Amino acid sequence: MSTLYRNLFMACVAFSLLSCADDFVEEKPPYQLTSDTFFETAEDFEAALIGAYDPLQATYVNVILGEIASDNTHAGGESATDVVGWQQVDKMEHTPVNDNIDDVWDFNFAGVYRASYIIENKDKIDFEGKSQIIAEARFLRAYFNFELVKWFGAIPIKPEGRFELGEETSIPRSSVEDVYTYIENDLNLAIADMSLESPQVGRASKASAQALLGKVHLYQDEFILAAPVLNAVINSGQFRLYGTQGDEEFLNLFEYNAENSAESVFEVQYTGAEGAGFGCLQCSEGNVMVGFSGVRGYSGPVYESGFGFNLPTQETFDAFEANDLRRELSILDIEAWADETGASYTIGNQDPRTGHTGYYNKKYLPRKNDNLGDANLTQPNNYRAIRYADVLLMAAEALNRGNIDDALALDYVNQVRVRAGLSEIDVSGSQLTEEIFEQRRLELVGEGHRFFDLVRTGRAAEAIQGFTAPKNNVFPIPIEEIQFSQGNWSQNTGY
Amino acid sequence: MVKNFLIATLCLLSTWTYSQEINIEGSVSDIDSGMPLLGVNVIIEGTTKGTTTNFDGEFILRSVPTDATLVFSYLGYETKKVNVAETTDFTIQLQSDTQALDDVVVIGYGASSRRKLTGSVSTVDAESIQDLEPLNAANALQGTTAGVSVTPQSGSPGAESNIRIRGISTNGDSSPLIILDGFQYDGGLNSINPQDIESITVLKDAQAAIYGSVGANGVVLIETKTGKRNQAAEVTYNTYFGLQQTTRELPLLNNLEYALLTNEKYANAGQNLPFPDVSQLRTNTDWQDEVFDTAAIVSNNVSVRGGSENTDYSFSASHLDQKGIVAPEKSNFKRTTAKLSINTDVRDFLNLSANVIYTNNRSQGINSFGLGSVLFNAINIAPTIRPDRFNLDGTIDLGNEVANPLAQIANTFNDFESNRLSGSFQAELEYIKDFKLTARYGFNSSNLNNREFFPEFDFGTSKVFNRPFNQVNQNQQEFYDYTFDLFNTIEKSFFDKELDVTFTLGMTAFRTHGEGLFGARTGVPRNSYEFADIGTATGVGDNQTNGSFVSEFRRLSYFSRVQFSFKDRYLLTGILRRDTSSNFGPNNSTAWFPSVTGGWIITEEDFIGTNDVLNFAKLRASYGELGNDRIPNFLFLSVLSGEATYVLGDEQNLTNGQALGPVANPNVKWETAKKLDIGLDLKLFDNSLDVTLDYYDNTREDLLIPFIPTSGIFGTAAPGSSAPTRNAGTVKNYGFEAAIGYSKEVSDNFSFNINYNVSTINNEVTKINGAPFLEGGQFSVGQLPPARMEVGQPIGYFYGLKTDGIFQNQTEVEAHPSQRELAGVDASPGDIRFVDVNGDGIVNQDDRTNIGDPIPDVTMGLNLSFTYKNFEFSAYSFANLGSDIVRNFERDQPNVNMLSRRLDRWTGPGTSTIEPRVTTAATANKLFSDYFVEDGSFLRIQTISLGYFVPEKALQSVGISSLKLYAKVDNAFTFTEYSGYDPTASTGAPIGGGIDLGFYPLPRTFSLGLNVKL
Repeated sequence: MSTLYRNLFMACVAFSLLSCADDFVEEKPPYQLTSDTFFETAEDFEAALIGAYDPLQATYVNVILGEIASDNTHAGGESATDVVGWQQVDKMEHTPVNDNIDDVWDFNFAGVYRASYIIENKDKIDFEGKSQIIAEARFLRAYFNFELVKWFGAIPIKPEGRFELGEETSIPRSSVEDVYTYIENDLNLAIADMSLESPQVGRASKASAQALLGKVHLYQDEFILAAPVLNAVINSGQFRLYGTQGDEEFLNLFEYNAENSAESVFEVQYTGAEGAGFGCLQCSEGNVMVGFSGVRGYSGPVYESGFGFNLPTQETFDAFEANDLRRELSILDIEAWADETGASYTIGNQDPRTGHTGYYNKKYLPRKNDNLGDANLTQPNNYRAIRYADVLLMAAEALNRGNIDDALALDYVNQVRVRAGLSEIDVSGSQLTEEIFEQRRLELVGEGHRFFDLVRTGRAAEAIQGFTAPKNNVFPIPIEEIQFSQGNWSQNTGY
Repeated sequence: MVKNFLIATLCLLSTWTYSQEINIEGSVSDIDSGMPLLGVNVIIEGTTKGTTTNFDGEFILRSVPTDATLVFSYLGYETKKVNVAETTDFTIQLQSDTQALDDVVVIGYGASSRRKLTGSVSTVDAESIQDLEPLNAANALQGTTAGVSVTPQSGSPGAESNIRIRGISTNGDSSPLIILDGFQYDGGLNSINPQDIESITVLKDAQAAIYGSVGANGVVLIETKTGKRNQAAEVTYNTYFGLQQTTRELPLLNNLEYALLTNEKYANAGQNLPFPDVSQLRTNTDWQDEVFDTAAIVSNNVSVRGGSENTDYSFSASHLDQKGIVAPEKSNFKRTTAKLSINTDVRDFLNLSANVIYTNNRSQGINSFGLGSVLFNAINIAPTIRPDRFNLDGTIDLGNEVANPLAQIANTFNDFESNRLSGSFQAELEYIKDFKLTARYGFNSSNLNNREFFPEFDFGTSKVFNRPFNQVNQNQQEFYDYTFDLFNTIEKSFFDKELDVTFTLGMTAFRTHGEGLFGARTGVPRNSYEFADIGTATGVGDNQTNGSFVSEFRRLSYFSRVQFSFKDRYLLTGILRRDTSSNFGPNNSTAWFPSVTGGWIITEEDFIGTNDVLNFAKLRASYGELGNDRIPNFLFLSVLSGEATYVLGDEQNLTNGQALGPVANPNVKWETAKKLDIGLDLKLFDNSLDVTLDYYDNTREDLLIPFIPTSGIFGTAAPGSSAPTRNAGTVKNYGFEAAIGYSKEVSDNFSFNINYNVSTINNEVTKINGAPFLEGGQFSVGQLPPARMEVGQPIGYFYGLKTDGIFQNQTEVEAHPSQRELAGVDASPGDIRFVDVNGDGIVNQDDRTNIGDPIPDVTMGLNLSFTYKNFEFSAYSFANLGSDIVRNFERDQPNVNMLSRRLDRWTGPGTSTIEPRVTTAATANKLFSDYFVEDGSFLRIQTISLGYFVPEKALQSVGISSLKLYAKVDNAFTFTEYSGYDPTASTGAPIGGGIDLGFYPLPRTFSLGLNVKL
C-alpha cells in the first residue's frame, strides 16, 4: 500500500518539480533601463533627447572634411599620408575605401538613429511639453539626414523609426528626391510644434528649423519655397549680425564670448570640461576639428598647438579685399603672427598640393583654455552651424535666383558687406547672383559650406582641382556599407 | 506493473527462506600482499543481503542458503564469486584489478563502468594527483590526459590555468565546464585543495551532451574524496617544504656590450654617441639578478576519513603558503581550505549526503604580464643604471614606458582576499526497487575583497608609472550561484539479463548572481599603505570615483539519457537535452541537444573471444550536438547604457541623458558544437598493455563574434554604442589521440608502469559571415594587430611580414622591390629583407601573410613510475610540438638594453643573415615579422619524485600505519629553442594568444615532503 502511495507521491513531486516553468529564465538586467521599459515618463523623453543632441558633436567631421574637399584649404597634417583619407579627399582621389568618409556616414547615421528612437516612441505616453521634444527630435533627424544626403546622395530612410538588424539588406537607398521630401516633412512638423524661443541655450528653436528648411529648399533650387521660411527667420527679429550693437566686436565673433550670440540661429555646443581619447573621437565633448586645425608645435600667445590640418590656401587668402575685416577674422597668417608676437611653430606636411600654406583656419583655432586631456581633442569652441549672416545670404540667393525680389536680396547682401567693413553695392540679376556666391565664400570660409555650395550651383568642377562631375558631386558609399548590404545598395556612379 | 514486480520479488525471497541455510565465517585478503582487506562487500547473489569485512578482513554471514553464490566485491579489485555448496574454506583472496575495467566512471547525472563507456573519457586518479601534488588541480591534467592542454596564465603565485580540451573551438570562452561533485563550479580550480580530489574525469566528446548548452568546450568532472564504510578513522598528514627559483634568466648585454652597441646604433644613424668614453663605465647592474629571488613554499594538509556500517565521513583541512620568485614580499599566495563531507543511509531506500568546502585565498601581486611589468622593465632597463636610482632623471633616456623595476616593486601595494563556500546537499531515494530519484542542491558563494594603493611617486620625468598624487582603490564583489538537480534513474534488466537498460530523466535549474561595488579616493594620509582606506583618505574632486555592477544569469534544462547494453557487448546510449537560458534571445529561446553514442565489445563475441594477447577490445563511436552559452548576458536586449552627454544651458554645463548602448541582437543564440568521435579501447598481453585510440572531428558553428562590423545605420558609432554580437563563424578541430599504458609487476619487489599519450590538433576557421577576418592581440606599441581569425587559417594565426634574410649590400637593396612604404624610408644594407608576397613590385603592409600560429600540432605526455622495495619513483613530462610564439618583451626604443643575440648583428656584408643592423634611424626592422616569431616547441620534465616508505615494523611501535618521505622537483627542465623565459607564455586569448610580453616564468621548485597515515 505504502509503496503505491509513495510512488504516486514521488511521481507527483518529480513531475511538478520537473515542470518548473520556462519563465524561470525570463530575466531582466537588474537595475538597468532597457528599451522595452523606456519612454514611460516625461523624464525618459528628455533624457533621450539629450542622447539625440550628443551626436551633433561628432559632426565636426562634416565641417573639417567639407573644407578640405573644397578649394578653400589643404589637408595639411604631419605628412602627406597623415590621415590618409583626408589627404585623398583633398586631392579628389578618394575611393570607397576611406575610413574618414566612413566616419561621416557612421556618425551622422548615429544621430539619425538616436532621433528616430524618440520619434518611434512618440505615442507611448502623453505629457506636457511632449510636442516640443518630438519637434526637436524631428529637427535633429532632419539635420543629420540633410548632412547625409549632401554627402552621399541617395540614402536608406525609415521615417517610422530606427533601422532593425537585417534591414541593411532589404531597405533600399531612397532617391535624393524622396530623402528631401522626408527631411522637409520632419522640418515642417518640427516648425509647427516648436516654441519660438529655444527652451534652453544649446537647443534648437523654431527659427533653427525654419533656417534649415530654407537651406534644404535652396539645395533643391526651390527658391519659391526657400524664400518665405528664410524671411520668417529674418523677420522674427530674434537675430542680428554680431558686432552691430553695443560693445560687440565683429572680430570676436568666433571667440568664446560670442558663443550663442544674437547671430546664432543654431549652434553645436562643445566643452573642454571632460577628457577624451583617440579611441572614441566621437565621444569627445570637445570640438575635435579645432585641435586638428591648430598650428603644429605652436608656442606663443593666444593659441594652443594642434595637428596642423585644414590649411587655407594662398588663393583663399587673396580672395579677400585688403579692407575686408573677414580676412582678419577668418585666416591666421602664421609668419606675420610669429613676426609680431615671437611665437614659434613647426611645419608638417610640405606636399605642394596638400601641405603647408602659411595660413590657418582662425575661426576654429584652439584658443588658450583649461580644457582636459587629451587637449587636442577637447577644445571647447562651439560650431556656429547656422549663422544669421548665412540666413541673410541664403534668403538673398532665394530672392534673387527665384526672381522674387532683387531689392530685398541686395539689402540682405549689403547688411553682410557693411558688417565686414565693405561698402554697399548696387547690382542685380546675375551680377547679384555672382556677388551672393562670392559673399557666401568670404563670409563662410572655414565653416564647411563651400564644397556643397559649389556642387549645388554647378561650379565645383571649375573651382576644385581634380573634381569630376557628376562623379564628385557626392562621395562614395563606404565599401564596408556596400558589403554589409549584400548587394542591396549600389555604389554611387563613377566610384 | 511495478507493484507486480515487487510482489514477485518478495515471493522469490520468501521461497529462499524455506531452503537450507548455514552460517558462514571467513576472511578476505589481497592475493599479492596477503594483507587483510577491510570493507569488502560480501553479498548473496541475487539479493540485497550481505555484509562487509571488518578491520581484520573477517566477515560473518548468517542464514546463507546452501545453494547460494557469494559475491565478493571491492573497489580496485576483481569481483570474485564463490559457490557456497562447493567449498567450506572461505579464506578468500582478491586480485587487484589494476586495469580497473570495472571502475566506475562518472559521466554526469550518473556513472558507468569503464568497460561499458561509449564516449571518449579520460580520468586522472588520486594517485597521479598525489604524485604530481600540483598547486592547482588543473595542472594534474597536463600531460596525463590525451587531448587536454593546460597552460598557466602566469608563473606568479596563485595564477589560474587555462584548460583547453581538443583545441580552441571558439573566439570566445574556450574553457570547459567544471562540475564539482555534481554541481557547476565556476570558481578557479585554485580554490580547491588538490589533495581533496579523488578523481578528475574529462568528457571530451558527445558523451558530454547531457550538459547541453554548457558542454561544448568539454566537461571536467571532479569528485572529491569521501570516507569508506566500515573503516576506522584514518588520519593522514601530508606536508612539504620547497624552494622555488627561476628556470632561466635571459641572456642580456652587460654594461660594456650595451654601451658599445648603443653607440653603434647612434653612429649608424649619424648621431652623437651617448657613451663617448666607455672606459668611464662603472655601474654594471644585472637587473634580472636584482628582481629574481629564491622563494619558499610550504604546504600542510590533514584529513580524517572513515565510516560505520551506514555512514561515512571525511574531514580535511589544508594550508598553502607560496611566495613569488619575483618580489616575494609583494607577490605571494596563501590558501586555506576546509572540507567536510558526510554520507549516510537513513533507510535502505534513502541516502543523504552533504559536502561543504570552504576556501580562503589571500594574495598580493606585482605587475607581471605585459608592457610595464616588473620583468619587462628588468629586461629593458640599461645595465649602466644603479639599482638604487629609483628616479631615472639624469640617467640615459629610456622612454616613458621603462622604469626601475625595483622602484616599481617598492611602490606596489595590494591585497586580494576571497572567501568561498561551496557545497552540495543530496538525497537519493529508491522509491521503488531500481527506481531512484536524486535531488541535489549545489551552491557556490564567494566574496572578493581587493585593495590597491598607488603611492605618490616620481619614477622620472613623464614615466607612465608616475603618480602625482596617491590613490587607494577598493572593491568588493559577491557572487552566488546554485545548481538544483532533480532526476530519476531507472535501471532494469530484461530477457534474462541479456539486456540492461538505464534510463535517466531529469531537470537542472542554474542561477548565478553577482554584485560589486568599486571606489577610489586620493589623499591617503602620509602617502602610506597603512592608512590606505577610502574612509581615511581625504581627497576631493575629480579623482574620487565609484561604480557598481550587478549580474544575473539563469538556465533551465531538461535532460534524458537511455543506455542499452545487450549481451554485455552491444552498447548504445541516446541523450537529449533541452535548455532555455536568460542569455538566449526571444527568437532563439530554446535549444535542443541530441547525441548518440555506441560501443561494441568485440572480445565478448564468441568468434573472437579473449586470449593471452587480446584481453579486451571495444570499438566506440559517438556523434552529438552540444552548445556553448558563455556569452555576455542580455545581448538580445537594448540597454540604455550609451553615452548621452551634451552641453546645455547658460552656464554651458555638461548635461547627461540616456542613450542606447550596444546594438541588441534579438537573434542571438548559443554556439553549436557538432562532435564526432571514433575510438578503440584495447587491453593486451594479460591486461598489462592498455591502448586507447580516438579520432575526433569537432565543428563549432554559430560562433558568437562580438562587435562584428555592422552597418552604421544602426547607430553603432554613437558614443557608448557598439556593433552587436552575432552568430557568424565556424571553426573546425580534428585530430587523433592515442593513450598507451603499460604496467608490469616484475617481482614482489619491483613493479613499474609507463603511460604515454599523444594527440594531434588541426584547427581551421571555415566561416566568418560579414567580415573578411577578425583581428586581435598586440605587438610592440602602435603596430597593427598581429593575430587574425580568417577563413582557411588556424584561429589566431600570426599575420605579419615574411623575412628573407638581410640585405648585404646596396645592390641587393636596389634589386629588391621597394620597402619604402613600410617605414617611410628606403631600406639600407643590414636591414631585414621582406618578401613581396603579393608580387605587386612593392613591399608594404599588404604583403603580410601567415607567419605561424600558437596552436601546437602535436601534444604529448610521458609518465612513468616504478616501485622497488620501499622506494617509489615517478616522473611526469609533456611536450608541445609545432607551436609558434612571438617574442614581444623588447621595448622598441633607442637606449633600452638588448638580448645578447643582438651581438651577432649585421655589421657589413656577410656578417649576418639573421640579425639586422642596429640603428636609431627609422627602419622597418621593428615591424611585426617572422623575425619575432620563434618555434615554441618544448619538452618539459614536469615532476620528478623519489619516495621512501619507512618499513612498517619500525612504525608499529609509534602507532603509525604508513610513513612516506619524498623529495621532488617540479618544472625540472624544459628543453626548447625559445629564447624567452617560458614557451608556455600566453594570455590564452583565442586571437592574440601565444604572444610573450615578458611572462612571469613558472618557478622550478625543489621540495621535501612527508606523508603520514595513522
